[in-house]
Amino acid sequence: MGYGTRVLLQDASFDVQRGEIMVILGGSGCGKSSLMKNIIGLYRPMGGDILIDGWSVISASPKEKAQLQRKLGIMYQSGALFGSLTVLENVRFPLDEFTDIGLDEKNLTARMLLHQVEMAYAEALMPGELSGGMLKRAGIARAMALGADILMLDEPSAGLDPITAANLDRTILSLRANLGFTFVVVTHELQSIFTIADRAVMLDPVSRSIIAEGNPRDLRDHSTDPRVRQFFNRRPDEAPATTAEA
Amino acid sequence: MTATSADPNSERDVSFALEGRLTALNIAPVWAEAVQTLERNPQRRIVVDASRLEYIDATGIALVFDLKRRERPPGAEMEIRGLAPNLAALIPDYEREHFSRAFRRAPALGIVEQIGRAASQEIAYVKRMLGFLRECGAALLQGMRRPGVIRWGEVLSVATEAGANAVPIVLLIGFLMGVIIAFEIGLVAQQFGAVIFVVDGVGVAMLRELGALMTAIVFAGRTGAAFAAQIGTQKVNEEVNAILTFGLEPVHFLVLPRLLAAMLVVPLLTVLADVVGIFGGALVLASFDIGFAEFYNHLLGAVGAADFLIGLLKATVFGLAIAAIGCERGLSTGAGATSVGLSATSAVVTSIVWIVVLDGLFTVALSG
Repeated sequence: MGYGTRVLLQDASFDVQRGEIMVILGGSGCGKSSLMKNIIGLYRPMGGDILIDGWSVISASPKEKAQLQRKLGIMYQSGALFGSLTVLENVRFPLDEFTDIGLDEKNLTARMLLHQVEMAYAEALMPGELSGGMLKRAGIARAMALGADILMLDEPSAGLDPITAANLDRTILSLRANLGFTFVVVTHELQSIFTIADRAVMLDPVSRSIIAEGNPRDLRDHSTDPRVRQFFNRRPDEAPATTAEA
Repeated sequence: MTATSADPNSERDVSFALEGRLTALNIAPVWAEAVQTLERNPQRRIVVDASRLEYIDATGIALVFDLKRRERPPGAEMEIRGLAPNLAALIPDYEREHFSRAFRRAPALGIVEQIGRAASQEIAYVKRMLGFLRECGAALLQGMRRPGVIRWGEVLSVATEAGANAVPIVLLIGFLMGVIIAFEIGLVAQQFGAVIFVVDGVGVAMLRELGALMTAIVFAGRTGAAFAAQIGTQKVNEEVNAILTFGLEPVHFLVLPRLLAAMLVVPLLTVLADVVGIFGGALVLASFDIGFAEFYNHLLGAVGAADFLIGLLKATVFGLAIAAIGCERGLSTGAGATSVGLSATSAVVTSIVWIVVLDGLFTVALSG
């Protein structure tokens, strides 16, 4: 996986079980967000394959890829709201495009989703009027609107206040527990990782590979890799620095 | 899916069932039918059997909440039975009034309020523009007094992009303008045996008017919009704030190089447009039996240095106006990508209007 001839990640294989919360973690610039974009089919990896429910994202036709992508609810790092729509219209957008539900019912659904991410008060605002954290929360609400099986969240709690971040973690756990959603979460927020993650894969920008995979608490307590201990214990002097800006 | 039915064994109760997987893609008819059932039976108790409901997504959660929140008279309540605990846990306990109001954007304004707001915005814009022009003038004066403070590298870079890269389009437009004017006037003049005077028309029109005018319009569409979009994006990305917090002036840092580049390249592009326009006219008049030598000799008598210089003066002022408007629009950009697009569009429209207004003023002022 990489850009042009620049390799970001190689020999990276892992699987995510249905109903699991998998966290992709690592320092800044290690390729976490790029890996997510490869998984959802926005970028094509240099080699290998990506399977969703046994279907290859790489060899899928455009129509098949669109069907596969409908299984995914995606929240991008910046929220990626449409600038010409209000917050409520943004959250309602997937329902407008793909369902025949009446307008009142769609508005109710969108409002409830906004309530869930503590954004109900901002429903009539335009994205240009929102802070980074608000954009992110509205993006999460939109990702959940169409009832995807798998939610992919890119840095969901970065930039959020502690209460909203904790609420978001609780929402993620509730959706998984009650509806069996599968989550792939890109983050390096340690508190959130320990709260939500069943398993984590850790990327390393120097070796350009996955250097650890497992339960985050086990990795923190039992990993012998100094880079992993350094990350989980937030001790930059524990091992040579491994972060690099992309 | 779901089945809906009135209970035939009960005079009072109406029951229906929610079944299977309810998702955004299949919930529309279920929701509509459930709501209709409630509305058709305002005085009867409603029993919803959710015991066979397997899965609900966000829309399913909203449906169950929608049914629960509806106010019913005593004795006609709605009851949901058999909802699995994992699904019941998803139904939030929100206050119903949070969801009772209709969603709408800001109400449409009355005509008087619209006119008032538009007038107020225009007045504010004129004030802002005057303030901006004063800052630009001060920056230009400071640049003339101390040329060392001007970021000449940036001026050259902008001039290359806005000038050198615009040469092909300006040549094409200028040439075609010369051809069109010569041909249209030539056809009429031929009827009166006055084809030779078309040379006067082409020369005066290109040098005094159309060379500068057409170049300015191309420049406004190509570069004025780019200035607004570049500075607008920098504003959205808070680069302008960064410049301010470094103690630098955005006008000096971002605007001055663009003003100077535009004042430099628009006259140069106009010279090219003049030359190719006159050449295009000469080519057309060759087909009217006016040779190149005759064209050249008559042109020297028809136009003078003043015509050429007036064209260059206009071009310089047009360049200054386009750059100033583009930069001002960029610096006035609000938040978000949409604002950048609006700024670019506004820069082009405002520039073209002002080009025509300024051209009219020049024509009146210099016609004596």
